[in-house]
Amino acid sequence: MSRELLASQKNHSGIVLDPRTKLAVLTTIAVFILGGSYEGVMQYYIIVLAAIPLLLLLLAGKWKGAVLYLLIFGGSLCLELFGLSYLTGVANFIAVAIVGLFLRFTPGIVMGYFVVTTTTVSEFVAAMERLHLPQQITIPMSVMFRFFPTVAEEWSAIGDAMRMRGVRFGGGKAGSILEYRMVPMMICSVKIGEELSAAALTRGLGGPVKRTNICKIGFRAQDIVLLLICLGAFAAQVYVWAARG
Amino acid sequence: MIECRDVSFSYPASGPVDGKCLTEGALKHITCTIEDGSFVLLCGASGCGKTTLTRLLNGLIPHYHEGTFTGSVYLDGKDTRELSLFEISQKVGSVFQNPRSQFFNVDTTSELAFGPENHGLPEKAVRERVRRVAEQLKLESLLERSIFSLSGGEKQKIACGSAAAIEPDIYVLDEPSSNLDTYAIADFRKLLMLLKAQGKTIVISEHRLYYLRDLADRVLYMKNGEIRGDYTAEEFQSLPAEQRDQMGLRPLELNSLRNIAAPCDRGGDSEWNIRQFFFAYKHQPETLHIDEAVFPFGGATAIIGHNGAGKSTLSRCLCGLEKRCGGIVRNQDKIYSRRERLKLCYMVMQDVNHQLFTESVLDELFLSMSTEDQAKAEAVLAEMDLLPYRERHPMGLSGGQKQRVAVASAIASERPLIVFDEPTSGLDLFHMRQVAEVVNRVAEHGRTVVVVTHDPEFILRCCNFVIHMEHGEIQESYSLCKPEGREHLLEFFLNDME
Repeated sequence: MSRELLASQKNHSGIVLDPRTKLAVLTTIAVFILGGSYEGVMQYYIIVLAAIPLLLLLLAGKWKGAVLYLLIFGGSLCLELFGLSYLTGVANFIAVAIVGLFLRFTPGIVMGYFVVTTTTVSEFVAAMERLHLPQQITIPMSVMFRFFPTVAEEWSAIGDAMRMRGVRFGGGKAGSILEYRMVPMMICSVKIGEELSAAALTRGLGGPVKRTNICKIGFRAQDIVLLLICLGAFAAQVYVWAARG
Repeated sequence: MIECRDVSFSYPASGPVDGKCLTEGALKHITCTIEDGSFVLLCGASGCGKTTLTRLLNGLIPHYHEGTFTGSVYLDGKDTRELSLFEISQKVGSVFQNPRSQFFNVDTTSELAFGPENHGLPEKAVRERVRRVAEQLKLESLLERSIFSLSGGEKQKIACGSAAAIEPDIYVLDEPSSNLDTYAIADFRKLLMLLKAQGKTIVISEHRLYYLRDLADRVLYMKNGEIRGDYTAEEFQSLPAEQRDQMGLRPLELNSLRNIAAPCDRGGDSEWNIRQFFFAYKHQPETLHIDEAVFPFGGATAIIGHNGAGKSTLSRCLCGLEKRCGGIVRNQDKIYSRRERLKLCYMVMQDVNHQLFTESVLDELFLSMSTEDQAKAEAVLAEMDLLPYRERHPMGLSGGQKQRVAVASAIASERPLIVFDEPTSGLDLFHMRQVAEVVNRVAEHGRTVVVVTHDPEFILRCCNFVIHMEHGEIQESYSLCKPEGREHLLEFFLNDME
């Protein structure tokens, strides 16, 4: 029943990466694959970047995800390279759009999936603290991770009540659906937020001393390799710009 | 040592007030001293100020909850006004009522480490604290677990552990047993014994008194924001049962429930038949497996069993809320599929806030009716003592009133089966009896009521049939109309306590 935004238990399989590395890879993929221009050498480099999530999924033993990713991304890539020229007119237009969407979006989505399923909340908070983000950011972020699963539970309970009371689209009360959803939702969320804050304060959160964190994170060889690859992407992009003049 | 000197407190008025909300939870001229190492039980009806008093002790008043505060509270001679919440958190550990909203981390070990981390202890010391607390309070088996996978009882134990990791001298607990079954309560009681054995000062506000009977050294009885009685354990136990009853307190011993007569003069002319109820959450083992079950039409049936026995799942399947649970429900020659059951049953949820959608109580009833019939709606409201509130916003009402609004809209919906999910958890004697009264009235209307509950007194007051579930299956079902049935029911609850 639980819906979690980040993993709540340590995932012992696969290679151990620092959360900061995972975020760096995610950002790089988002910048160059999702938003990049695919000029010059970059069109080859993005394949290297796209291979990272595949590798990570395989190492973590997530076979189903890896195969699915390989099929979608690899298939789209083959189509773009060899298949699209055979199509004409509207069919070509639609195929180009779909293949383009898949190519640009899947690596980021898969990497995001990897990040959220293998990072625990405490690791994430520790990483933010190491990045020297101020308490004003780290505390609300960590509350958020705790708050969302609880709100998701509330959301589904309200959904149940709506189904049971026959409030649904086409039931004659469709206009009020949003209101029926939001009023109890807001009241429950405010209550939970208040109780959560009170509980945290009685455990000394927000005190004048510097918080410690027992979660061990740090860079290892594999982190450095991945970070270098990310750095390479930025270097290649700069090179492309320089060559263009 | 804790000292309250002439403390008065009232919350700021919120929402529509008719004089009642203003005094709810307010305190008037409280003066008391709590010695080091004593175990103090705060009892009294809902709204008597128990929770407010616990908030004064853990510093949430005046540092978090706003209101008018006069007098002073001293912790070891220091005024809580002059201490910061951070400083108080080193002296006082708190455990709250709702296990869903008092955890900050999503895994148990981080949760235990949370307090010491906040106090800036070195990493090694934090690990040592977590290890020690887990060992002392016997929580080792719960370490490194996801909070979401814990039962309510396990959550409350972790909440205690998390408070204990800061190593405070004082523990303040606000109705910690509200969401627990009798078995989990017995387990939780052992943990309290461990804390007491460590010589800690413990202040606990609670409705269920039986599990604290031989733990408490002192009982403070509160009414309307004042301390009306200050008893030693012996004095409190020697009070006649009738007097405690008049004080609105739950019984000290479950045995005393033997004399309640179950209402048996209704229903039973036909029966409901359930078939092929199987259910498993995704990637989880089966939580419900019922080939066939029968309960009487009309009257009220209680579903009992331990946490995780599948009671809530059964009630959800009965209402057709679980899409992957098919099965049929039959009454005489009428057969209801899952989809049809969405219109057959009406569920009154544990948290009624989830099911009140509209802007006024009257609209709430109209939403349930196929055609808006003002006269009929008002008749139902009158029946539920809600007529004066018909124009009020449901969210502005008290907890008990909200619950009655949900019941009223269930009656207005004219559905034959009404399901209550733990309607009395966290209720005091008066409100519990009120809900029992409501169930009796609904049953007299010819509806069938099904109640998922852990509350033996409530069952005896309004149910005439029991379905006992364990491990997703029906272990037994029996009528409460014969004395043997009632005896059997009490045995189930008494066995759990040992």
